[in-house]
Amino acid sequence: MSNDRITPAMVTAGTLNNLNTSLAALDRSSDELSSGKTILEPSDNPFGASRVIDLQSQLDGLTAYAYDAQDGISWENTSSSAMSSINDVVQRVRELVVQAANGTNNQSDLNTIALEVEQLTESVKQDANTEYAGQFVFAGTLTSAPPYEQGPNDEYKGNSETVSRALAPGATVNISTNISTLLGEGSGDGKLLDTLRTITQDLRGGTAEDREALGSADLQSLDGNIETLSQLQATAGSTIDQLQSALTRNEDLQTSIAESLSNTQDTNIAATSIAFANEQAAYEAALRASASIVQESLLNFLQ
Amino acid sequence: MSIPTLQGLQTALSGLLAEQQALDVTGNNIANANTEGYTRETAIMQSDLPITIPATNPLTGQGAQLGSGVSVANITRIRNGYLDSQYRTQNSALSGMATQSEELEQAQSAFNEPTSSAIASQLSTFWTAWNSLADAPESKEAKEGVVAAGEQLATTFNELSAQLSTISTQATEQYETLTGPSGEVENYAKQIAQLNGQIKLAEEAGTQPNDMLDRRDLLLDKLSTLANVTVTEQPDHTDTVSFGDAAEPLVEGTSVNWPQTLTEAAGGQLGALLNLTGPEGALTALRTSLDTVAETLASTVNAQLKTPFFSGATAASLKVAVIPSEVQASGTAAAGGNEVARAIAALRGGAADEGYAALVEKLGSDVQTAKDDQANLQTTVTAINDQRQSVSGVSLDEEMTNLITFQRGYQASARTLTAMDSMLETLIEHTGVVGL
Repeated sequence: MSNDRITPAMVTAGTLNNLNTSLAALDRSSDELSSGKTILEPSDNPFGASRVIDLQSQLDGLTAYAYDAQDGISWENTSSSAMSSINDVVQRVRELVVQAANGTNNQSDLNTIALEVEQLTESVKQDANTEYAGQFVFAGTLTSAPPYEQGPNDEYKGNSETVSRALAPGATVNISTNISTLLGEGSGDGKLLDTLRTITQDLRGGTAEDREALGSADLQSLDGNIETLSQLQATAGSTIDQLQSALTRNEDLQTSIAESLSNTQDTNIAATSIAFANEQAAYEAALRASASIVQESLLNFLQ
Repeated sequence: MSIPTLQGLQTALSGLLAEQQALDVTGNNIANANTEGYTRETAIMQSDLPITIPATNPLTGQGAQLGSGVSVANITRIRNGYLDSQYRTQNSALSGMATQSEELEQAQSAFNEPTSSAIASQLSTFWTAWNSLADAPESKEAKEGVVAAGEQLATTFNELSAQLSTISTQATEQYETLTGPSGEVENYAKQIAQLNGQIKLAEEAGTQPNDMLDRRDLLLDKLSTLANVTVTEQPDHTDTVSFGDAAEPLVEGTSVNWPQTLTEAAGGQLGALLNLTGPEGALTALRTSLDTVAETLASTVNAQLKTPFFSGATAASLKVAVIPSEVQASGTAAAGGNEVARAIAALRGGAADEGYAALVEKLGSDVQTAKDDQANLQTTVTAINDQRQSVSGVSLDEEMTNLITFQRGYQASARTLTAMDSMLETLIEHTGVVGL
């Protein structure tokens, strides 16, 4: 409907309304530019707001799982280096055994070697008691107590449960190494500690059979133990690879989710700056026009 | 053919008086150009009954009628009643939507999304704390971290619930203030009833009580912000006012019928307040949904544990029920077990998170809809008001033009009087005197 009569009150109200609209648009753009966000409250973009909540939580989750994986890698590195150290010890024992078996040593030499093997046995146990962040890495899930005690008692105090780290919701990886499959519990089970004890006995024994055993049976079981150790080391290595690749996948995902998040909530600075400049110009023009229109009246021209 | 000698003077006088009255009306319009609710007035001029001049010769001559001047028959308001009723209908709708959007915006501010102090972010922190516990199942710090994150989350739920409850209470209080004794409804109704009485008397006395009619219309406009208003004009010029969905008319003649019961269907601010806090209302729905999220959070976390981590099943009562040393990362006694911590960390993005995100989305779109509707209604109301202004508003340009018109009219009437006077002077002073 066209308005036949236009009154100053209509003009004033309309002008004020338009000025308010222009200023509100300007204010909005300025908020978006200064905060860097297009979603300042849920009503700005309800679906976007819920998506931001979802994406942000996913991103936080990935960060947390990346931290978990990193922790798993550190744990696994700790146990790997402990196993390398055990390997060094075992290799040294092997050298000693070979040296002892060649028949040129007298009993006193053998006793000295036996002493060294005993010390090396203790050092193996020490390596088995390695801790990562206050947790004994070779104790199964009984991580709060050392799995072996120093001295003649070779009993394994850990359990055979596995320690896991989460890579993602529902995806886990086993990071614990069951060291008792290598070290055993002594008393004739043929595992490393038993082998070492037998070698010590054979070195001290002094009989021809003992010397014979050093070169044959003892060396054989030691080689068997070295084989087991290599397998454990290989497993640990592949776990580290698994964790590393999970970490890489995680970081890729983080990048793509961060990008979606930014697309959803961040201000397009270029576009908004242009809009802001336009709105500013429009507002100034509106102010200028209002200032001159509202003042005009027939009164200005009557004598 | 004869005309009363002094008739010309009378005619000129009537012109002077009428123009003067019209000038007064114009002056009043200008004075009230910015008065709220003022309707421009106009003096309706009418020519007076003519004098019949009989024919001198009834057979051949012709008689005539001579106009005897002008008088102001009426000073009338220029107003369109149809636009008034349209304005009031839309104004009620606008006021209701404005109330709705204002209250929901308050609720939205209470949620404070999306910021790091809001629930979504704290839920995320809580889940991360369980991830950290899974890395160090026996660590005192990790357990303290879990409890601290849980407590902060629970406190935020409690505070938000309290804020929503306050918004709801304030809405109810506002309704009671407006409808209570000496509240706006009663106040407006009493003034309308009083004006009804005065208008009736004035009309009976044959005068048009323009100012009182303006005041009554303005009160009806104001009443329409509170609830729907239907006005029926009675033959005695009183207005019968139906208000909202009240059973009886609010004003009938000079009597006021208040308090009455209103429901959500009342429209306007009062209807919106009742709707928001009612059992189906947006605020109530919001609080129920928040309670559901809190309940889901507590039950999904507790389901993984032997000792419940959370107590309370509503947003207001949610609390951490354990101390750090009681937090279990595993169902077994083994120190390195972390399957429970992993299972709880995996609840991220689960039912509680989804429920909350859906709640925020619903609230956001409720606010957005209310704001959009409000803006649309505002446009409609502005358009109708423009039309009303176009009909009833004072245009200073027009009044200035009228001022000149009536001023010139007055001057011309005065000149006619002078002409008559000098004519009579000739008759009285110079007639019958010859040769002087």
